[in-house]
Amino acid sequence: MREPLPVFRRALRESWRGLIGWTLGVAAVLFLYLPLFPSIGGNGQMQQIIESLPPELVNALGYDQIGTGAGYAQGTFYGLMGFLLLTIAAIGWGAGAIAGAEESGRLELDLAHGIGRVPYALEAAAAVLVRLVWLAAIAAVLVLALNDSAELEIEPTRLVDATVVLTGVTMLAGSLALFVGALTGRRGRGVAAGAGIAVVGYAFNAIANQVEDAEWLRFLSPYSWAFHQPPLVDGFDPAGCIALWGCTAVLVAGTAVALRRRDITG
Amino acid sequence: MNPAIELERLHKTYGRRTAVDSLNLSVTPGSVVGLIGPNGAGKTTTLRMILDIIRPTSGEVRVLGDDPRTAGPALRRRIGFIPGELRLDGRMTGRRMLDFYSEVSGPVRPGAIDQLSSRLGLDLTRQVRTLSKGNKQKLGIVQAFMHDPELLVLDEPTSGLDPLVQREFLQLVREARDRGQTVLLSSHVLSEIQQAADAVAVLSAGRIVAEGDVASLRLGAIRRVRAGFAASDPATVRAEMERLPHVADVEVSVAGESVRLSATVEGDIDPFIKTIARHRIVDLSVEEPDLEESVLRLYGDTPAAAKEAGHA
Repeated sequence: MREPLPVFRRALRESWRGLIGWTLGVAAVLFLYLPLFPSIGGNGQMQQIIESLPPELVNALGYDQIGTGAGYAQGTFYGLMGFLLLTIAAIGWGAGAIAGAEESGRLELDLAHGIGRVPYALEAAAAVLVRLVWLAAIAAVLVLALNDSAELEIEPTRLVDATVVLTGVTMLAGSLALFVGALTGRRGRGVAAGAGIAVVGYAFNAIANQVEDAEWLRFLSPYSWAFHQPPLVDGFDPAGCIALWGCTAVLVAGTAVALRRRDITG
Repeated sequence: MNPAIELERLHKTYGRRTAVDSLNLSVTPGSVVGLIGPNGAGKTTTLRMILDIIRPTSGEVRVLGDDPRTAGPALRRRIGFIPGELRLDGRMTGRRMLDFYSEVSGPVRPGAIDQLSSRLGLDLTRQVRTLSKGNKQKLGIVQAFMHDPELLVLDEPTSGLDPLVQREFLQLVREARDRGQTVLLSSHVLSEIQQAADAVAVLSAGRIVAEGDVASLRLGAIRRVRAGFAASDPATVRAEMERLPHVADVEVSVAGESVRLSATVEGDIDPFIKTIARHRIVDLSVEEPDLEESVLRLYGDTPAAAKEAGHA
């Protein structure tokens, strides 16, 4: 009897060191930022600083809500450092899973054995997703743990919403990296594509925050799909959520098709 | 009996470059077939098409009765493969890597991995990335042989191995044949094929230019010779060489006290040896030329000429 999901299990087994590193990074950011909220956010001091800043800057950073605990967690972690860390992790894992394996010569040997190409692609994607869910879930647990001491007053169920969109927006970048990697066999191109969509999404959102006429840019920004409706306050936006996970599903399916069709030349 | 591998009018182009050109090849079950040819002749491309790692532009591939394009993982479990220019990397140990491949391509007979590894002198507890090229190649051999596949497709399997391990590898190939396994192996070293293979196909510029049993090909008949003579005169040596049949590329030079001769001898080497024996010989080497040189000499250096020679 063959055990299921060999490629998925191998990916997790091989990346536990890295995953611990990312987990510590996420924890460090949360422990650095959140406990500061009572001293700079909660007492109105932060609001004064924000008001003294140029409004364009405040809007671009999404700091207009920073006087509340939910806005603060969004502005510092979910919309900024957490987004950044998980995006980088997702892109690295996504681009490495197929294109990285091809460049290192491993893909040729793997596919010469009893592994189908479609399962290979799907298991690679699942391994990226599971690791992102782990990081986002750890973040939610830590925010919940700090909720009282940092006086954040975040509604605990809203953390689920924030976790869903944070995972979604970073998985989208990761699956684009995976897809482009599978299409081209080049890790660098996968990384560039994943980073590209993350940066462009963030930039479009920032522009739309400032320029009323540019509101339509939000339709093109995965970052807006995830965070325009603040998930920690109002829950996730269903349409945005469908867009994030729908695009991810399409990219993962595209990865499987691309890998199935292509010559592996390493 | 159906052939273990049958390639018909196989064609592969990369953009405008043709890597494999109308290739026909049939491998009898239970035999060891060598695929030889210079680097860039299309050996690796051909072998990768058998494993469905790359896909033919046109033509037919049948492997163990199936089309690799559609037979999927189930067919590949019946094949053991060593990629050309094998690259292995990663923190995992050799054993961990082999366990993974036995999981996906097994079952592997208990003890088979340890047995193969100890025969080749491979330490399975070391991280793969820290292994030398030769040890990585041993790992490649173990992963191909460990599940006793019906068919072994080996692309330059001995590259990087020292002579003792090469001999052990050739023994493994013979044992595989004795058990009824079929082996297709490529090499650019002729002597290796001569020791291991029952039949040979010579590939040049993407085509089979000659095939048959090892002895029937004249490939081994060309030798490059170098000799040094004491107290001889260059003009005499040159004149003697010119009288001999089958001696070409004669170069005679004077190096200090001695005369140096370099030439190629095709066919019977006896007249050459008898001739030089009259001199006082201070140095002598007789070597196989590289395969590229032999193939190009015997079968022409253009695809068209190669084709004629192949059909002659």
